[in-house]
Amino acid sequence: MQKLKLAALCALLLGACSQQTGDNPATETDAAEAAGESKTTAQETAANSESEEASDDGPSLPSKNPYPSTYEAYPSDTVLITGATILTAAGDQIEGGSILLQDGKIAAVGAGEDVTAPDGAVEIDAAGKWITPGVIDIHSHLGDYPSPSMASTSDGNEVTSPNTAHVWAEHSVWPQDAGFTRALAGGVTTLQILPGSANLFGGRSVVLKNVPSRTVQGMKFPGAPYGLKMACGENPKRVYGEKGGPGTRMGNMAGYRSAWIEAAGYKKKWDDYETDYEEWAAKDDDDEDKGDAPDAPGRDLKLETLAGVLDGDIRVNMHCYRADEMVQVLDMAKEFDYQVTAFHHAIEAYKIADYLAEAGVCAAMWSDWWGFKLEAYDTVMENAALVHAQPNSCAIIHSDSAIGVQRLNQEAAKAMAAGRRAGIDVEPKDAIAWITAHPAKSMGILDQTGTLEAGKAADVVLWSGNPFSVYAKAEKVYIDGALMYDRDDPARSPRMDFEIGQKDNDFTGGAGQ
Amino acid sequence: MSSTMMKSTMKSVLLGVSACVAMSASAFAQTVAIMNGDVHTISGNVIEDGDVIIRNGRIAQVGADLTAPSDATVIDASGKVVTPGLFAPYSSIGLVEIGADQESNDSYPEGGFSLGAALDATDAYNPSSTLIPINRAGGITRALSTPSAGDTLFGGNAAVIDMSGRVNSIMKPAAAQVLVMGYGGAARAGDTRMGSWLVLREYLDEARSYRANPNDYVRRPHEGRFLVSDLKALGPVIAGEQPLLVRIDGANDIRKLIELKNTYSLRVIVVGGSEAWRVGDALQAANIPVILDPLVNLPSQFEDLSATLENAARLHAAGVKIAFYNPPGFGAHNLRALTQQAGNAVAEGLPHDAAMAALTINPAEMFGLASRLGTLEAGKIADVVVWDGDPLEVTTQPEAVLIDGVVQDLGNRQNALMKRYRDLSRGDLPHAYRGGE
Repeated sequence: MQKLKLAALCALLLGACSQQTGDNPATETDAAEAAGESKTTAQETAANSESEEASDDGPSLPSKNPYPSTYEAYPSDTVLITGATILTAAGDQIEGGSILLQDGKIAAVGAGEDVTAPDGAVEIDAAGKWITPGVIDIHSHLGDYPSPSMASTSDGNEVTSPNTAHVWAEHSVWPQDAGFTRALAGGVTTLQILPGSANLFGGRSVVLKNVPSRTVQGMKFPGAPYGLKMACGENPKRVYGEKGGPGTRMGNMAGYRSAWIEAAGYKKKWDDYETDYEEWAAKDDDDEDKGDAPDAPGRDLKLETLAGVLDGDIRVNMHCYRADEMVQVLDMAKEFDYQVTAFHHAIEAYKIADYLAEAGVCAAMWSDWWGFKLEAYDTVMENAALVHAQPNSCAIIHSDSAIGVQRLNQEAAKAMAAGRRAGIDVEPKDAIAWITAHPAKSMGILDQTGTLEAGKAADVVLWSGNPFSVYAKAEKVYIDGALMYDRDDPARSPRMDFEIGQKDNDFTGGAGQ
Repeated sequence: MSSTMMKSTMKSVLLGVSACVAMSASAFAQTVAIMNGDVHTISGNVIEDGDVIIRNGRIAQVGADLTAPSDATVIDASGKVVTPGLFAPYSSIGLVEIGADQESNDSYPEGGFSLGAALDATDAYNPSSTLIPINRAGGITRALSTPSAGDTLFGGNAAVIDMSGRVNSIMKPAAAQVLVMGYGGAARAGDTRMGSWLVLREYLDEARSYRANPNDYVRRPHEGRFLVSDLKALGPVIAGEQPLLVRIDGANDIRKLIELKNTYSLRVIVVGGSEAWRVGDALQAANIPVILDPLVNLPSQFEDLSATLENAARLHAAGVKIAFYNPPGFGAHNLRALTQQAGNAVAEGLPHDAAMAALTINPAEMFGLASRLGTLEAGKIADVVVWDGDPLEVTTQPEAVLIDGVVQDLGNRQNALMKRYRDLSRGDLPHAYRGGE
């Protein structure tokens, strides 16, 4: 098979892009084929583990968190930043504002005179500068399609079956991806890493703190719910059209529905088991009819994830470009009684912004990418602003790119400016939520991060100026109060293993490279 | 250039709020006065509160305190920025509508098609592509419509076009030939750089031999490695008449390219150049410009390890002429984002005026059009943009775009869709009956 260089951008966009690169006509299908030919049977080989042994304490249920987060915040100073323009992402723009970071949390935020520092606090004069919550990218493939982008590192999409709900993105994340450091220099403090979009069900996503670690567990956002990646439209039918299907959009829908029916049956088996167990346990031990504890059903990794959606534990993130398809999916979610959390790459969200608001579904969008495939033909620069204009809406700007993730602030700025020119009332205090509070809400972590409010994690970016300007730079990035990036201090710029010891290549790496 | 043709494509124009003008039917003959803007001439200093007078498609006068001719359409540019039209020096504009759909993507050959260098963008260029008005609204007035390499090393002849969308908008056919080297070249030549350089030298040797005596060449026996059509097309390259756009990134590869350029006396332009800053002095000495994406900063391949956001600033400091392009895969749909890319280069140390030159005069120079395009000077073609602020700022947009002195329609398919769905209420008739322009 001929090697073809996949531009990093394109590889990262497996789901989104699929257009041939200018001089390297590698297609998504090429990447898909490169990912492997053999069908996995992981879901069939899952064996009962020790954790499932029945005990006196209760029924034996699979662990919902077998790869738990080991993330711990790094040491932090008490920091008072004063004189800044603060966008709280909770609806306010505060001029001459101050923020106090203490014990990894936001202790206070407000007008200058309202926030005072305790003794020993580090004080930073931020006159002329801006402060926002840490940026959150709801759609990233960092670690799964890392740099360097080679066939050997292409781990983002298990393109072996239209339903790979059994795979978990975290098991592909390479924590040494230099892309994480570049995103940090763009103010990104939290990311959702998703599997690619070749499949109807791509697998589980994982939410990460953008803090380097030797292990992916060390990056996992404590307590963040899991997500499930699903995909509409062109990608699944193109990839599987000649591999047994689905080969049409109706085939896509049939594929989802069949899987949900199976998942509902699986869920019922486990629900019944729990009920049976409770009834058994309630019986007196002296009861001659008590007998042995009921046996737990066999596990199936694929159905376990889908049942997790039906249980409301796992959030559905669905790649879906076209308006008509999104509304079909909303009906399907009603049919099987689950909630879609967000439509990603929602190019045509503006055509059905009312439906989305009504259903409480976020739309994650680009500001201006378009035309790489036909379902991306109808974008408008005002897309995010038109979604925003609906009451109770949830507009998100996402990247899906190792380059784009570095300047989500600029993407939000473009989308905001387009909306304003069209007469839509949207200001920086609103648009900042598109890259902070709204993704946090969609990812189920808004109680911990995403806005600048007292009590929340001190995930904070100090910008050199207005972040809705092309010239603004993230100067300092705090995660849980710890200064993880300082543009002026090379000692506060992470360098991944791949980046060191390469001085002969003039390659020094680091967040700001 | 036919004036009747231009008349026939003129439409009524709605400019931004502050620059609303009524168009005369006689578009080509129109006189336009852009008054009281900050005029970035590119050839000299910014003229604050300056004026640009346009007559018969050319810039007639540039200066301060000029008087608008009585027959002029006046555009009030107070508080606005006036620049030359932007020139996208490497894009598949007019060759692609939908990237992923082969039916609407003519930008490179597929399926083992054997010819490369002989392909010509003008054969496929579609002036009615929706990409043209969408990017024109972002201030792009000229572009190189550039084919990409398929299975051979060469992509074919690229053409300079104007972004008016009129039928005859090819300005300079065969303005450059396209070559892919680096890993992309190796992948087309036995998966090794040894293969790609060997094949390239053989192409050039054979092209020279063909050019010296075509009749003799075709009579002699050959191994059949190269097709005569391709060798013929490489004639202007080997003669040093036509620039060769070379997609190449790694410093090691670029050093090799400089050697080759000197050996064969070629005109070479580097495209990509993620590590070009490492060989900035050598590029300057060899007079090789670089068309780059200033946002590339990831070690995507071993040929990109030292990619940095400071590439543009460092190349400029070394005296290398630079211009910008959208990364591969986004090669035509978002030329309007070139200003954002340039703005980021400025944020990383490139002087603002150098970034403006990279968007205007530098590409014009690269393709031999500097006497006609790229600055606001009397006598030049009147490609002019009036911006509502700093052109490099992400929140800025053009309010007026002129090509060949003609005020352009800034409406496009995306605007039409936005207007159609601005109001989602059911109405008396479906959305399909609304805003059908």
